[in-house]
Amino acid sequence: MRLLSLDRRIIYILVLLAVGVPLLFRVPLPVKVGVETRKVHSAIDNIPHGSYVMLSFDIEASSLPEVKPLAEATVRHCFQRDLRIIGLALFSEGAAIGYNLLVQVADEMGKVYGSDYIYLGFRPQYVSAILGMGESIEDVFPLDYLNNDWREYPGYASLGNYDDVALVISIADGSLPTYWVEYAGSRYNQKIAACLTAAMTTSYYPYTVSGQLVGMVSGLKGAAEYETMLGYSGGGHRGMLSQSSGHALIILLVIVANVAELRKRK
Amino acid sequence: MTDLATIVALALTLCILSFLYRENPFYRFAEYLLVGVSVGYSTVVICRNSIYPLVIERISSSGDILVLIPAALGLLMFARLKRSWSGLSRLPLALMIGFGAGVSIPAMLQARVLKQVSSSMQSLATLDGIVIVVGVISTMSYFYFSRKQEGLNGRLAKLGTYFLMVFFGATFGFTVMSRISLLIGRLEFILRDAFGLVS
Repeated sequence: MRLLSLDRRIIYILVLLAVGVPLLFRVPLPVKVGVETRKVHSAIDNIPHGSYVMLSFDIEASSLPEVKPLAEATVRHCFQRDLRIIGLALFSEGAAIGYNLLVQVADEMGKVYGSDYIYLGFRPQYVSAILGMGESIEDVFPLDYLNNDWREYPGYASLGNYDDVALVISIADGSLPTYWVEYAGSRYNQKIAACLTAAMTTSYYPYTVSGQLVGMVSGLKGAAEYETMLGYSGGGHRGMLSQSSGHALIILLVIVANVAELRKRK
Repeated sequence: MTDLATIVALALTLCILSFLYRENPFYRFAEYLLVGVSVGYSTVVICRNSIYPLVIERISSSGDILVLIPAALGLLMFARLKRSWSGLSRLPLALMIGFGAGVSIPAMLQARVLKQVSSSMQSLATLDGIVIVVGVISTMSYFYFSRKQEGLNGRLAKLGTYFLMVFFGATFGFTVMSRISLLIGRLEFILRDAFGLVS
C-alpha cells in the first residue's frame, strides 16, 4: 500500500497547513464551558475581596504557548476580584515567565506591585519549599524576586503561612500539582486548583473526583473556556479554529492509516 | 520594525523546525544553544534568588551563621568531582534521601492511596459511581498476577483492559491537543510577531 509508505514530511506539511492557515482568519468558534473550568472559576469567585491567592508558576519555557493564555486568564480573574496575588515559581525557568506575565497583566489592569501583587521568585527543592511555607512563607522566601523585603509592602505585612492563603493555583506543565496536593493539601488542608497543559489532564481527573483539587483548567481549550467566562477573547479563543482543524486532520489521518492497514492485511 | 530579539527567536525557531526535514547542523546548533542557555539561566536564578537571600543576606543582615551548615553540606556535593573526596558527598546525599523518604512516604500514602481509595468508593445510585467502581475493580484485576486470569477473574481483567484502552485513547487525544497548541503558539509568533501578517 502506497499510503502506508507515505513520506512523513508530507504529513508535516499537511499539519502545518491545517494549523497555520486558520490562524490567518479570525473566525470565532463557539466555546462550551466544561465542568472543571466552572469549578475553578467559582472557587476564585467565592473568595472574599482582598484575600491572598498564591499562583505558582511550575512551568518551563517549552510549554509557554499553551500555558500562557491559561495563566493570563487566571491572573485577570484574580485581579478583577481584587484578590492579592502571591506569585512564585518552583521551576527556575518559570521564575522570569511568571514575573513578566504578572507585570504585564497588572499594568494592563492598573494593579500595583506591593499592594495588589508580589512575586517571590524561585526556590529549589519544591518539597521543602511547599512544606516550609506551611510553617512560614517568610522563612522560605525572606526576600522577593527583586531582592526586597516583601513584608514591608502594605498589602502583605499580615501574610504568614497557608492559613492566610485562600487558594493555591499551580500553573503547571508537569507533576508539581501532585506535590501541592500531597504536601500543602493533605498536610495543611490548603485548597488547591490546577492550570495544566492538556497532556496532563487525564492524570489529574482522579484528584478532582476526590476533591483534592477544587478544579482544573487544561490546555488551550481550557483557556478559551475561561476567557468565555470572563467575557474576553484572548490567546485561547485565537487558537480554537487552528486547534479544531488540526484535530480534524489527525482524526482523518488515523482513520485513513487504519483502513490502509486493514486492507493490507486482507 | 521587527526587533533583534524577534529576529533571533525566528531564526532559532526555523533552525529547530528544520529537523522535520532531516537532521542538520542548524538544528544541532539550536539544540545545544538551548541546553547551554537553560543551564546558565538556572545557575544565575539559583545564585540570585536562592543563595543570595538564604545565605549571604542572612549572614550579612542578621549574622545568622547557622545557615553556613546547610551551605557547607551543599558544597560537599561538589566533592564528587574528585575521586578521593567523593565519599564526602555521601553525607548530604544521605540527609536528602532520609528527609525525602521520611517526608514523602506518609504524604504519598495519604494523598495517592488512602484518599484515592476512599474516593473510589462511590454510591452505585449514579452512572458515574457505577463506572468508577467497575473501572477500579476490573482494572485492578488486570494487574493481579497471583492467580491465573481465567473464569470470573479473567473476564474482569478483560473488562479492565477496555478501561485501560479508554484511558490511553483519552491521554493520546489530550497529548495531540497539547502538541497542536505548541505549534499554534510558534506559528502565531511567526505570522504575527515576526511578519505582522495577522493582528
